[in-house]
Amino acid sequence: MGQLPNLLLAGLSTGSVYALVALGFNVIFKSTGAINFAQGEWVMMGGMVAAAGHAAQWPLGLAVLLAVVTVMVTGILSERVILRQLARPGPLVVTLVMIAIAICTKSLVMLVLGKNPASLPGFSGSTPIDWGGLRIHPQTLWIIGITCLVMVGAHAFFERSILGRAMRAVAAQPEAAALCGIDPRMAMALAFALAAATGALAGAIITPLTLTSFDYGTVLGFKGFSAAMLGGMGSLPGALVGGILLGSLESLAGGLISSHFKDAVAFLALLLTLFLRPAGVLGKGEVERV
Amino acid sequence: MNAGRIARASLLAVSALLFAPFALAQGAIRIGSILSVTGPAAFLGEDMKAGMELAIEEINAKGGVRGRKIDWFFYDAESQTQKGLTATRRLIDQDKVDAIVGGGNMSGMAIAMLGLTERAGLPFMSTEGAMDIVTPVTERQWTFKSTADDEQVMERLADYFAKKGIKRVAFLGDSSGFGQSAAGQLKKVAAARGLDVLYESFNPSDTDMMPQLGKIKDSGVQAIICWTVTPAGVVFLKQAQQLGLDSRLTLIHSYGFVDQRYMQLAGDAAKNLLLISVKFPVGADLPDTDPQKARIMTLTRAFEAKFKRKPNQFVAQTYDAIYLTRNAIERAGGTDRAKVRDALAETRNWAGVGGVFNFAADRHSGLSKDDLVLVNFRDGSFHLADYK
Repeated sequence: MGQLPNLLLAGLSTGSVYALVALGFNVIFKSTGAINFAQGEWVMMGGMVAAAGHAAQWPLGLAVLLAVVTVMVTGILSERVILRQLARPGPLVVTLVMIAIAICTKSLVMLVLGKNPASLPGFSGSTPIDWGGLRIHPQTLWIIGITCLVMVGAHAFFERSILGRAMRAVAAQPEAAALCGIDPRMAMALAFALAAATGALAGAIITPLTLTSFDYGTVLGFKGFSAAMLGGMGSLPGALVGGILLGSLESLAGGLISSHFKDAVAFLALLLTLFLRPAGVLGKGEVERV
Repeated sequence: MNAGRIARASLLAVSALLFAPFALAQGAIRIGSILSVTGPAAFLGEDMKAGMELAIEEINAKGGVRGRKIDWFFYDAESQTQKGLTATRRLIDQDKVDAIVGGGNMSGMAIAMLGLTERAGLPFMSTEGAMDIVTPVTERQWTFKSTADDEQVMERLADYFAKKGIKRVAFLGDSSGFGQSAAGQLKKVAAARGLDVLYESFNPSDTDMMPQLGKIKDSGVQAIICWTVTPAGVVFLKQAQQLGLDSRLTLIHSYGFVDQRYMQLAGDAAKNLLLISVKFPVGADLPDTDPQKARIMTLTRAFEAKFKRKPNQFVAQTYDAIYLTRNAIERAGGTDRAKVRDALAETRNWAGVGGVFNFAADRHSGLSKDDLVLVNFRDGSFHLADYK
């Protein structure tokens, strides 16, 4: 059982990444009701752009900033150039269009940045910290720390700021929000910018540990989607809970049962949750007030 | 009468001599090739295609095979088995080739293709890795391959472990066909050689191997063998270093990981790593007595002159495959398919670039464990670490 703390730590670190990806899903779900299947590709693109920036001798911080800005612009352009042209941007249509955008994003990254896997150095080196027998990669602490900050920031934004509350209003009742002077299009553009930026940040901070390559996005997207479903689609604390739950389950299943069943156990847990609590652990379910 | 017969016989002989070259040159020899130069498997395809191009150009520059030039029909399978099968049908029915060399640089595709070539009774020289391409031989009468079998690779590793007194090892293979077929072969070899093996696996797309490594760390093994061709192998190296395993245990990667890009990504996490490989990447380090050394050096020079970059072991794989086929056609005296097949099966002690090939009627895979070495990565290139 000596490895239990190690397993939990590994779960916490992978789980934080899943949580960041799930956050992107939730932000877009909140404002459009659609599932953004390009989220995983944005994470991949963030990692690839940061790595390319670093390879071009940019300082690390600037390379990460470059990644966040580039992907954010991609997100905004996807919304403005493609989604805004849709005659009826209902949730199903947006979801389908996002799958197309995901495939295009992946191909674009492959054509521009190449097929080779890329990496970044750790933000504070890669000498493991020895913490009473636990060996921790410093990047793990960066990942957990940044995830916490982003989560708190997102929570404050949606609960306290005018913009955040406006976005929630649009999601809840577009017509009423428009009558109050909120532009639903603006809210949607903002949601895409936010989701793309968090995705890019997630991609940049995990690359020192996991590497990245043009074909990494799909799996990350599915894991993030699972985490969002597990925690409850649309719930910000749900993203955090779902992500960490999924990461820990995977890690414990891999370490205590067998690595052959790692993914099976995680997805089984997801299925069970959906059977027993269809809205997710922290989801509220759909209540229509008459 | 006697004189007349002699005269007639000599007339026949003279005319045979006179017309022989024309009679033999019944048009060109048609060789078809299928590789994936686009799609996910493309990172191997370009180099493998270049190896074939070079071999065919050399053969034709020297006058071809028995005076017949080689006509080469190449198709890109785009890493999709369906496209590979369409191209195979086209090679058989439309281009009417005499042999196919290269099976899409994906083992699964080569296995799908051989269903068609076996039925057509067409010699097929695969340049892919999996052992299932040539076993069971009763169902693979027309199929050969120019790569080493995992069985021989595992035997070579067992030899190394015996030499170093290593008895307990962990095998960490990815869940693809590449990793799992190697695990199957290791199980057989380990039972025969008295190795105690802990089997763990991971997905090719995994980005965290801490659970597996934690388990391996606690199990007290002396070596870890990792089997993958994906960047997950770099994560393995980095996390093993994080746990301090790289300085305590022997870490081994497969021949599929002998790639400079991966070594550069792993950085100093790869400093104690060994890789099992054909001799090609360490040609310059080989002793002069080695039968491959001169051949590797010659190919390297010719390749650099033509393509202005360094060749790798995948180039050798296809270069040898073309020459094996060419030699069989020469010995068969033409392109009669059954004769070419038999001539291939009779290839003995032919020193190619990848190793010394020995085929037999019941063994359609030519390389053996003697063609494999252990290499490491120091100062930006691969070096010989264990020779025989």
